[in-house]
Amino acid sequence: MTGECDMRYWANCKWVKKMTEISKRKKTRNQNSDANTCLDSYEPIPKTIEEVTKRLNEVFSDCSDFMQRKISCGKYGMISILVAYFDGFVDKRVLNQDVIRPILDVFSNTELHECPGLYDRLKEYVVINNDIDDAEDMGQAVDGIVSGDAVLFIEGEDRALVIGVKAPQGRQVEEPDTETSIRGAREGFVENLLTNTTLIRKRIKNPNLKLEMMQLGEQTRTEVCVCYIKGIADDNIVRDVKERLKKLKTDAVLDTGIIEQHITDNRLSLFPMVGNSEKCDKLAGKLLEGRVAILCDGTPYVLTVPYLFIESIQVTDDYYDHAFFATFMRLLRLIALLFSNMLPGLYVALVSFHHTVIPFKLLITLAASRQGIPFSPIVEAALMIVVFELLREAGVRMPKPIGQALSIVGAIVLGEASVSAGITSNLMVIIVATTAVCSFIVPPLIRATMLLRFAFLAAANFLGFLGILFVAVAVFIHLCRQRSFGIPYMTPFSPLTTSVLRDSFVVVPFWAMVTGRGHQKYAGGASKQNTGR
Amino acid sequence: MEKARISSIQLFLLLTGFLFGNTLILAPAQGAKNDAWLAILLGGAGGALLMGVYAAIALLNPSKTLAEILKEKLGKVGGSFVTILDIWYFIHLASLVLRNFGEFIVTMTFLETPMAVVIGLFAVILVYLVNSGIEVMGRLSELLVPVIFLVVFIISLSLITVRDFTAFFPVLENGMKPVLNGAFALITFPFGESVVFLMVFPHLNKKERLKKVVPASAALVTFIILLVFFRDIFVLGSDLMVRSTFIPHLTSLLLPGFNVEPLIDITLMIGGGVKCSVCIYAAARTLCQIAGIGDYRKLTGAISTFCVVLSIWVYANVLEMFNFSENLWPYYSLPFQIVIPLLLLLLSFRKKSSQSNERAKSQKGKDAAKAY
Repeated sequence: MTGECDMRYWANCKWVKKMTEISKRKKTRNQNSDANTCLDSYEPIPKTIEEVTKRLNEVFSDCSDFMQRKISCGKYGMISILVAYFDGFVDKRVLNQDVIRPILDVFSNTELHECPGLYDRLKEYVVINNDIDDAEDMGQAVDGIVSGDAVLFIEGEDRALVIGVKAPQGRQVEEPDTETSIRGAREGFVENLLTNTTLIRKRIKNPNLKLEMMQLGEQTRTEVCVCYIKGIADDNIVRDVKERLKKLKTDAVLDTGIIEQHITDNRLSLFPMVGNSEKCDKLAGKLLEGRVAILCDGTPYVLTVPYLFIESIQVTDDYYDHAFFATFMRLLRLIALLFSNMLPGLYVALVSFHHTVIPFKLLITLAASRQGIPFSPIVEAALMIVVFELLREAGVRMPKPIGQALSIVGAIVLGEASVSAGITSNLMVIIVATTAVCSFIVPPLIRATMLLRFAFLAAANFLGFLGILFVAVAVFIHLCRQRSFGIPYMTPFSPLTTSVLRDSFVVVPFWAMVTGRGHQKYAGGASKQNTGR
Repeated sequence: MEKARISSIQLFLLLTGFLFGNTLILAPAQGAKNDAWLAILLGGAGGALLMGVYAAIALLNPSKTLAEILKEKLGKVGGSFVTILDIWYFIHLASLVLRNFGEFIVTMTFLETPMAVVIGLFAVILVYLVNSGIEVMGRLSELLVPVIFLVVFIISLSLITVRDFTAFFPVLENGMKPVLNGAFALITFPFGESVVFLMVFPHLNKKERLKKVVPASAALVTFIILLVFFRDIFVLGSDLMVRSTFIPHLTSLLLPGFNVEPLIDITLMIGGGVKCSVCIYAAARTLCQIAGIGDYRKLTGAISTFCVVLSIWVYANVLEMFNFSENLWPYYSLPFQIVIPLLLLLLSFRKKSSQSNERAKSQKGKDAAKAY
């Protein structure tokens, strides 16, 4: 009994609470261990400016862009304040106007004995900048400096002020190169995280839009932001995303691509289980459908989960255009997807096994064009596809002006010369060209298609149509097995979800799609929420 | 017990795909010649009734698989014995379907390919599918089974120009006997084979939907078999139809201007795949439950391999296959399809009524006690 009472007594003691808080903080600090700043897990800020300077010089030795300035103000220059920051990282004009000038103005006549309230005065009415934080220990202060804030150390205080005066950096908001659209917003995300979050907030003016920050990467300490709309996004998925991100143990997070590889459901699958986008309006639409977005500082690509198969053939333009046209485009994209996978395989199967299926007149032309070709159909097809992939890869890596020359060379080599040299048949060139064109129509699946094409080719050479069928069914089984953050990958087709089928291969007009809140969950594409009807 | 759940539409498509299976290739009611449409109508009605029996068993014993029901009703020894017989039946059924598929491919498309290659590769894919679980099987059937309907309708509509609409006359030229025989054959194949689904019904997420799903599926399949029969007899005439080995294939060759042979392969592969995978799944699950093995996935590989071997070994040639499926199969499957399920249904009813009697009695007793 007494033991229990004692426990309660101890638990109520204020200083015990404080102690546990400190130990907790120690633990968190331990987690992002400061290997290269040589800081202890919890090091108090020295009270004198000289010691602070010494310590900072130790931590930031050999950092030529590290700046510190000592300000002496007050009557007889008795008050010393140290400003520490990274050059180029902070906006010096803002720092001078909002921080240093007011300090010099206000404290010009202050006596030394007024000093004890100095810290709070500084925080409350001297510094003009809004973004002010306390640093309770040296680690927090160093973190502030490293992430681009200016830190104010005051003589005789064991706290420091962290003032956000980050200089706007990086490029302007511009139209992304990857996802161009004919209609719709042209704004794309940029490398700066804050700019990106602003772009999202601008589109969804709602306090339910949550942006939760966390730091990932032992070395890089990259800011990563989990973004979702509370009430629309599934809580389980949000929790799952956060858990997977917390489990992520890696030195460097330079791009969302690295996060994607760590959090994806099936790392071996060729098909993307996590979506990425560069377009603001697309992301806003995804968020409104209940998806969770992961933003990362330093990259314009934003991840969205869960990602479903159907999303790869959805384009934002579909929702802004006439519904019939959009439906037609969706079907066209589906056909393109099938063609880019199977066309070379189908050709090989037809030529090698199923002559009877080809109409007779075409068969004659085909035989004529294949006359004198030294290779079997599969060698011919594989050769042409590899040449095309080489050209494509070269075109991507080349600087733009050379790329044009490359395309001319490619057109001549692939088109005319190879036929007249007797390496390939005319029809094969048409097949490979069609395949190539089709493969660019559905960009998210381009990697899967590239490899599956060869699988289909080999199967067709082995067992004709039956081989293609076997591979196709195997791929379908694989697709049906997958789940992205708990949602079956082939939703809305299997499991059949009639409420979202309106936005699959068939696109119904926007006004008919908008039926009720939450109906369009995981349908993909742009915003379709209830607009007050 | 696996916790997987399938929706009613998934079960509907799975069941329809299963009933479809290899039915169109073997054309079970063709013994009745141009009266086969009567046999199909009668057989469809009888098949629907039989499937109603299975559904009733599943509804009376909710969330219990066939093995569990048998154990409960027939005791441990008798139940196990019948369960083992059933496992054999499922495996046999799967291997017959595999053989049908292989025979069709080898006879029609790949004349020089050994059948073992075709069947073996097919079995590899089936193992992958069955190991993915019943949920994935349901989802896959949602994607692929509608393709069968699509192909059947496309071929039927394309042949509309080459038809002789009087081909099914005269009616009942040979009396009722061939019709009844055909109807009986149709009841046992394909409808009676859906006894396998007693292993799948417990996975349905809304049990009461079973009452709708099963008759709807039987009706749709009867309709399509009827449609295909009329198409074939209008196009080929009764004489040619009786003589040809693979009727739908021959019909598809008559399509003017275009060869759609591969489409028949697709329907056979989807239907046969669904049927085979359900059979292998049921066999593996039943064997697991009787042997007390936790995960049925350990057995699918072995069972599929056995099916492949059995399918190659079971017939000497294609004619034996047709003979067996027409003349022997109906009688061979009688105990599995009709006798055991009817017995189970009776036992289930008795138990139910005795339970409700007991409840009524105890209620009466309580009332009496209160009155005192």
